[in-house]
Amino acid sequence: MKYWWKILGVLILLYTIFVGMLTPLKTGITDASPVSLHTGRSEVVTVQGYNSFFTKEKENLRAWLKMSNQKALAAKHIEVVDDRVVKLTFDIPAYLPVDQKVKDFTLLIDSPVDGASVLPGGIVVTQDSVNVALGDLVWTNAEISQLHEKQAFTFPFRNILGETIRNTYYHVPLWMAMFIILTAGMVMSIRYLWKSNADDDRKAMALTNVGLLLGILGLITGAIWAKFTWGKFWSWDVKQNMTAIALLIYGAYFVLRASFEDPEKRARVSAVFNIFAFASLVPLLYIIPKLTDSLHPGAGGNIAFGSQDLDNTMKLVFRPAIIGWTLLGIWIGEIVLRTARLRDRLMEV
Amino acid sequence: MNLFAQIFYLLRKEITLEWRQKYAISGILLYVLSTVFIVYISFQNIGPQVWNVLFWVIMLFASVNAVMKSFVQESGYRQLYYFQLLHPVAILLSKMIYNSLLLLLLGGLTFLALSFVAGNPVQEAGNFALALFLGSTGFSITFTFVSAIAAKADNSSTLMAILSFPVVIPILLLLVNLSAHSIGLLSGTDIGDKISLLAAVDLILVAMGLVLFPFLWRD
Repeated sequence: MKYWWKILGVLILLYTIFVGMLTPLKTGITDASPVSLHTGRSEVVTVQGYNSFFTKEKENLRAWLKMSNQKALAAKHIEVVDDRVVKLTFDIPAYLPVDQKVKDFTLLIDSPVDGASVLPGGIVVTQDSVNVALGDLVWTNAEISQLHEKQAFTFPFRNILGETIRNTYYHVPLWMAMFIILTAGMVMSIRYLWKSNADDDRKAMALTNVGLLLGILGLITGAIWAKFTWGKFWSWDVKQNMTAIALLIYGAYFVLRASFEDPEKRARVSAVFNIFAFASLVPLLYIIPKLTDSLHPGAGGNIAFGSQDLDNTMKLVFRPAIIGWTLLGIWIGEIVLRTARLRDRLMEV
Repeated sequence: MNLFAQIFYLLRKEITLEWRQKYAISGILLYVLSTVFIVYISFQNIGPQVWNVLFWVIMLFASVNAVMKSFVQESGYRQLYYFQLLHPVAILLSKMIYNSLLLLLLGGLTFLALSFVAGNPVQEAGNFALALFLGSTGFSITFTFVSAIAAKADNSSTLMAILSFPVVIPILLLLVNLSAHSIGLLSGTDIGDKISLLAAVDLILVAMGLVLFPFLWRD
């Protein structure tokens, strides 16, 4: 089989699309109201679940307001309205064991069916006056233990991301495929300078072409994702700006190519520019964003993909997706290459 | 003749030529002065942040204009003569060093002119001077090499801007950041990181230039 890699690429992408789109998300909490509670009262919080099944095993449902890793407050009464809505009653003590007037709590619900779901920092409690010692005295601590894991193949639920977490299989792998393909293009440029074989220049051109295409797609998918999570298509994020510049550099590569008549000269000069541009692209995309604050993960103190955001189920789709997009890119590149070869042969005739 | 002697002679030749036909250097100096004045009469009040950005933008455009001529405006026959006589690395390095000196002069002049009309917000003169030095080196390396590329094409002055601006943006961003530190707009301890990063980018680009230039000049 000569074309096995094309079939492999398509199969991997089909797998990515089906598994990536059809796998449900873990149970999460989308909303809680009221958000602001007061000390010394018995407060009822209505919680909206996502992909939750509260009515199953509702007698084993547990809920906490978590203050710190040691201190948590258990819900006194849990009333299940339906699968998505549950009402929690908390007896908030008159004083909290913290020296802050307003303290944020993480809401945590555990169910044997859905596993544990959290709303980080979602509830704030205001106290009338601060008294840490008295707060320690009246605090009835409920230990959070024996949390359940959802026993199904699911993707993690993240509060701002929601269902858009699936874009991880498009935006991020498109980027990585772009970088792999542009690197291959640069290697072809080096080979051209080394051996002066006209086909190497065509390969470099074809790969750079595809790299630019993948870059534009990565930018568009990123912008759409940003619209849903950060609120705007373009948020003056350092990585977004750097990307726009990188695309300008490769746009310039094609303008440069177009400005030569002589194919040998065009090949040589554009190979030189391709290598030079690639050398300036690496600090652009990988070093400068790490030094500046960014909304992207992995910069400015944000957690990076791979540590917490990307769990094992997501890796099962994410890693093949990189290979799939790269193979598809190489396929497109091959078609561009063959067209270029035919065009050059036509010119000779 | 060894490499250093070649570089030295070429450098002396550049400076002598520049000195004999003063219109080129005086033209670029006038360019800076008039730009600064245009900027000043359009803005009137220039705060430290705007001052910082304006300084580097004026530097950027003046540098492109100053460096463009290094390969683009030299006649093909004279280049052929050099290339037969000398090592290509010596040619590129001498141009880069000469342009760095020119841009350092240009930067100093821009600084004086801008400070004269809009006040001098610089608090840490040492850091600012370092930024200016690294900046003129980085601009000179990038623009000299890109002008060598652009000179090979027909429509070279447009190409010069298209090719060099995206490549120079990382350097420009680091420079604006670094000089914002010296003006007191930014504070933080990572200034050493940025200086070493800028120096590293300069070094990478000069190394790439030296490796690639021999492929570029032979026709």
